[in-house]
Amino acid sequence: MKTETFHYDNRIVRAFAIATVIWGLVGMAAGLLAAVQLFWPEANLQLQYVTFGRLRPLHTNAVIFAFVGNGMFMGVYYSLQRLLKARMYSDRLSWINFWGWNAIIVGAAITLPLGFTTSKEYAELEWPVDVAITLVWVVFTLNLIGTILKRRERHLYVAVWFYIATAVTVAVLHVVNSLEVPAGAFKSYPIYAGVQDALVQWWYGHNAVAFFLTTPFLGLMYYFLPKAAQRPVFSYRLSIIHFWALIFLYIWAGPHHLLYTALPDWAQSLGMVFSVMLVAPSWGGMLNGLLTLRGAWDKVRQDPVLKFMVAAVTAYGMATLEGPMLSIKSVNSLSHYTDWTIGHVHSGALGWNGFIIFSMLYWLFPRLWNTRLHSVRLANWHFWIGLLGIMFYAIPMYWAGVTQGLMWKQFTPDGFLQYPNFLETVTQIVPMYRLRAIGGSLYLLGTVIGAYNLWRTAKSGVFEPDVEARAVIQDAPRQAEHGHRWIESKPVLFTALTTVAILIGGAVEIVPMYLIRTNVPTIASVKPYTPLEVLGRDLYIREGCVGCHSQMVRPFRSETERYGDYSKSGEFVFDHPFLWGSKRTGPDLQRQGGKYPDAWHYNHMEDPRSTSPGSIMPPYPWLLTRKLDTNALPARIAALRKVGVPYPPGYELGEAQAALAAQARAVVANLALGSITNAPPDTEIIGLIAYLQRLGTDIKAAPSAAAPVAAAIATP
Amino acid sequence: MIRNVLSDIGGVGLYGVISICLFVTVFTGALVWTLLQRPSLMASLGHLPLADGERRRNPEGDSHHE
Ligand code: HEM
Ligand code: HEM
Repeated sequence: MKTETFHYDNRIVRAFAIATVIWGLVGMAAGLLAAVQLFWPEANLQLQYVTFGRLRPLHTNAVIFAFVGNGMFMGVYYSLQRLLKARMYSDRLSWINFWGWNAIIVGAAITLPLGFTTSKEYAELEWPVDVAITLVWVVFTLNLIGTILKRRERHLYVAVWFYIATAVTVAVLHVVNSLEVPAGAFKSYPIYAGVQDALVQWWYGHNAVAFFLTTPFLGLMYYFLPKAAQRPVFSYRLSIIHFWALIFLYIWAGPHHLLYTALPDWAQSLGMVFSVMLVAPSWGGMLNGLLTLRGAWDKVRQDPVLKFMVAAVTAYGMATLEGPMLSIKSVNSLSHYTDWTIGHVHSGALGWNGFIIFSMLYWLFPRLWNTRLHSVRLANWHFWIGLLGIMFYAIPMYWAGVTQGLMWKQFTPDGFLQYPNFLETVTQIVPMYRLRAIGGSLYLLGTVIGAYNLWRTAKSGVFEPDVEARAVIQDAPRQAEHGHRWIESKPVLFTALTTVAILIGGAVEIVPMYLIRTNVPTIASVKPYTPLEVLGRDLYIREGCVGCHSQMVRPFRSETERYGDYSKSGEFVFDHPFLWGSKRTGPDLQRQGGKYPDAWHYNHMEDPRSTSPGSIMPPYPWLLTRKLDTNALPARIAALRKVGVPYPPGYELGEAQAALAAQARAVVANLALGSITNAPPDTEIIGLIAYLQRLGTDIKAAPSAAAPVAAAIATP
Repeated sequence: MIRNVLSDIGGVGLYGVISICLFVTVFTGALVWTLLQRPSLMASLGHLPLADGERRRNPEGDSHHE
């Protein structure tokens, strides 16, 4: 047997590891600031840039793409080389991956506070950044496939399959969901509208969770858990079944984010069935991980790496039991829009992703720097403080979610809403928001301790950039291999098959939505937004109002009583993008138009507590002074026409501005009626008010288009 | 509730049926294939993470099975 000597690249692993720690601290600090703002709105520091609506996407992008993303690359770049007994295919590609990815994150950290956002959750970044993401992801994928092709190990370990599935799926998801028409350097409109846009977005959103927060980390679990425990995974067979079942089920589960919305029934049921089935492979994977440690629990007690890993895998089990539960329509009718979702998210994010990343970091640092962990005691402190942080985060959120969900639905014996004032249901749960901030502080404190410990570890050792390794040279590939072993020795074919698998899943879900494009019953009275409303809607997007307000009245009596007629899919045909929202920190706004006078909105936006004492909504004084960007109008109207909104040709060349000015004057006149006499007609607030007053009013003009309403309304 | 929306394209329920059938087929295939594998192969594959060919001993004390 001939052997060959080569070197693993540890430099790239170190770079991603350091970035993971730094971005983790930044992202969690942003989360904590957001958490504090929810009981103390003044914590926005009077700055539009870090007001909740803009801070929330900054937090989610920083933790998901920066913290979890760098952590994923760190683990993949380390384990892939060793599983394949080969250095990465190209050092240059590795570094383009690193600097490109982190430049994108810096781009996000600049553009999101400035209000450049598409408003689509986890896909907020505007089109230039979208293009950059695509390029960097292609670089990563090429590097991955290249390494697989030049490997010295014949078989692909199951972790590598998870990495391949991740690379391919994220690429497809990102591209399909980001199809948009630019209307300026940092502004675009998606080619989809309304129901379609929502379906594509949550097909993406769910699979971003599945293929960014889950599959790569399952791969990492299958590598680092056996590695740290120094024993093979409990059942390799089970890991294969886990893999196929998971990727095949996940891709269909997206509609569980849209239950009881205006999405067609069949899609909702499909999402529900597949989500419930997901519990099986997920728990298979969890048990496979935990059983790997059978008979080695004494090690778990001593080794912080295993401690974090066990807690992470357990949290994965909890989140994947809870997730399918939340996908059951009746449970979702209570949980959706409440803090229950937030609790679910963070038990997954803090417990599963966070802890598995810490586990990897504690394992990697001593090895990268050829030394021992600085302090096992501090690592244990980190573990317990982090765990306590998760408890203090999750439990109050479940409490808040259930409490508020029930309050929204509570009727008096006479058939009136028990809490007709939405605000009452908010003030009830504000104490829970305070507790959550304590939980977040603890978790962040743990991370700071961890960062210190890792830093000291690195200082005490000597970094070894290139680690020498030896492998047996493989003889010429055998012919006649059969079954999966054959597929697995043909990684390109395997990649193609995975792609086909996820494309079929996506197509089955999305194609019918294309078909109904022409079949969504057009409601004759639903008209495109006026120019002033277009600009107002863009402000609604810029300020991230969708982070706290839904525009989707579900067909329950409790909602139609509170908000008005339930939402119809035909109402959204001009909504590029859709703004249904996924969390109701404030009330639904779809039927907002005409509910209050213009002056009410003016006062409310300037200082929400002047009209609604006790409200936790932040003030938006800058809307009253900033000038409306009417210069942007032509490009926006043109882009909207391109995506299918029927503005007449040439409309933007003069007519649109005249219409805008006329409507602005009307708003100013209305404001004067409410004794606001000094409002300049060219400020942003005017546009926003025009948009808010338009919301949901078109359908009211319709001569009872909704005859079967009464029959269709469900009373859960 | 919005079932009327889709009444225009015939047999849309078919998509649900297709999905389930595809899933069941693939899943059964993977299951059967996996169960048919030789235990010795499965065991050796399971050991892959433990043998990375690194030539240095870690102070943390990894034992490499090679
Ligand atoms: C110190 C730790 C953290 C704190 C204090 C925190 C706080 C928050 C807050 C206040 C929100 C907004 C909730 C709302 O709108 O009501 C949020 C949302 C979110 N956070 Fe965190 N977070 C933390 C860590 C993380 C981590 C580590 C991750 C991911 C790995 C994460 C992922 C998310 C996601 C995905 C959302 C959006 C949830 C949704 O839209 O349903 N967070 N977080
Ligand atoms: C079997 C696995 C899972 C299923 C079936 C599932 C299902 C669900 C459901 C039904 C929702 C609520 C949708 C809504 O009402 O708006 C949800 C939200 C969410 N889940 Fe899971 N979940 C699973 C596992 C996980 C894991 C492991 C994580 C994190 C690592 C996670 C992260 C999230 C996030 C970030 C959201 C918030 C999406 C939003 O912005 O609204 N899920 N999930």
